[in-house]
Amino acid sequence: MISLTGISKQYSRDSVGVDDVNIHIGTGEFVSVVGQSGTGKTTLVKLIIAEERPSAGKIEIGGWDISRISYHDIPLLRRQIGVIFQDFKLLPKKTVTENVAFALQVAGESGSRIREVVPRVLDIVGLGHKGARYPHQMSGGEQQRVVIARSLVHRPKILVADEPTGNLDSINTQEIMEILKKINEFGTTILLVTHNREIVNQLRRRVITLQNGKVISDEEHGKYNLSKKH
Amino acid sequence: MFSFLRIIKFALQDIGRNFGLSLMTILILILMLLSVNTLFVIQILTNQATQSIKDQIDVSIYFNADSTDEEIKEVTEYINSFPEVVEVTFYSSEQVLDDFKKTHAGNEEILASLDELDENPLGPTTVIKTRVPSDYPNIIAALNIPEYENIIESKTFTDTEVAIRKIDNITTQVERFTIALSTFFGIIAFLIIFNTIRIAIYTQRIEISIKKLVGATNWFVRGPFLVESLIFSVVSTAVTFSLVLFIISFIDPYVGVIFNKTAFLTNYYLDNIILLVGVQFGVVLLLTLFSSILAIRRHLKV
Repeated sequence: MISLTGISKQYSRDSVGVDDVNIHIGTGEFVSVVGQSGTGKTTLVKLIIAEERPSAGKIEIGGWDISRISYHDIPLLRRQIGVIFQDFKLLPKKTVTENVAFALQVAGESGSRIREVVPRVLDIVGLGHKGARYPHQMSGGEQQRVVIARSLVHRPKILVADEPTGNLDSINTQEIMEILKKINEFGTTILLVTHNREIVNQLRRRVITLQNGKVISDEEHGKYNLSKKH
Repeated sequence: MFSFLRIIKFALQDIGRNFGLSLMTILILILMLLSVNTLFVIQILTNQATQSIKDQIDVSIYFNADSTDEEIKEVTEYINSFPEVVEVTFYSSEQVLDDFKKTHAGNEEILASLDELDENPLGPTTVIKTRVPSDYPNIIAALNIPEYENIIESKTFTDTEVAIRKIDNITTQVERFTIALSTFFGIIAFLIIFNTIRIAIYTQRIEISIKKLVGATNWFVRGPFLVESLIFSVVSTAVTFSLVLFIISFIDPYVGVIFNKTAFLTNYYLDNIILLVGVQFGVVLLLTLFSSILAIRRHLKV
């Protein structure tokens, strides 16, 4: 499903994002990528959604080589991957319903289909009754659930979550993780980028650890192995 | 089709939800258009003023009193043959005498001296008007030929030559000044419009990047801004022309006193309304579209 072969990203001579990374994630997996700040986790996400281009190596998403993807094809790729950001990235001048609908509108879905799907997805994340609100009228946890709804609405095969609980308290963190687990149960491949020890240890799924831009461990039922000072 | 309708819907939503910013952009466009129209009105009035003065300039050719009708006819036909000449008015000796008497009606001495003469001492006169004052010297030069020395007694051009040169000079200077001012104004207008649009787009740079990350194409993101540019141009042009027509209806009575014409500016605007609105709307639209495309370009690289 996601295949990174010999991927490196060098920003400048002394600034390396990731260095010779080899990761292969199969369909339906739930993989956590952990590592200290500045170790290349977010670079990895940016490479997968083509926000950055690799300096070397090959990235394949569902068999599609996106290493040298054209600017014209980037929107097509992004419509096939759901992305959850730590800072939510909701459109502030659009309501919750409009934010979720936007992901379908950019893909050219019909109005009737959007009116049918969006309320259903909002119900799944428990926000069916808050569709008319604007992002600033909602709590952090609710905003993150809107982001999840937006990333799910076009039924992506892959969901990339970059520090989805970074701005949330423990209760909201648990809620978000439950939703992610449920999404994974329906067959969606999930790549979770986090530095939250508790949720990684609770999951007991595959854990990839990055350090200085390199993969230092890849365990099938791993734990957060980095020391607490990180 | 869905996308096109959505782009229009998003543009209208953006205008409504960023009402303050939209209003500021429209106000700046209106102020720029009002300034351009002020300059334009000044140019119309200057042109009309110089034209009025030019219309009053003519050259009189005084024939000798003993010139024959054939000789006068020949000279008149010669004058008429010049394409620069737009009007030739002939006054007979009797008409010239009558005019002279009317002009000097209060001067008993002059009238008495005329009475003492047995015959009319004044010869016929031809008044010539050319398209532009600078044509007069050519006509006068063409009449300074030996064949007409005994027919033409004098020409008034020598009296008005200096005035004509001055008017020509002033007109040329005013035209140069207006062109320079218009160019200067055009550059300022472009910079102000470009920066206004750039600020409006800059405030939405994060939203632009979010739209791109969700999978929007460049045109889907750019589209609403272009539709907004169109709406801003339509509204600002419409409001500006309504204001201009309202304002010149107040100025017109004063202008009418000077040029002896009623509703001069209003009529000028109404007669040329399609051209004036079309050109100004077109320029504002092009400027706002160009500014939008240029300003948004850097934020689309996500």
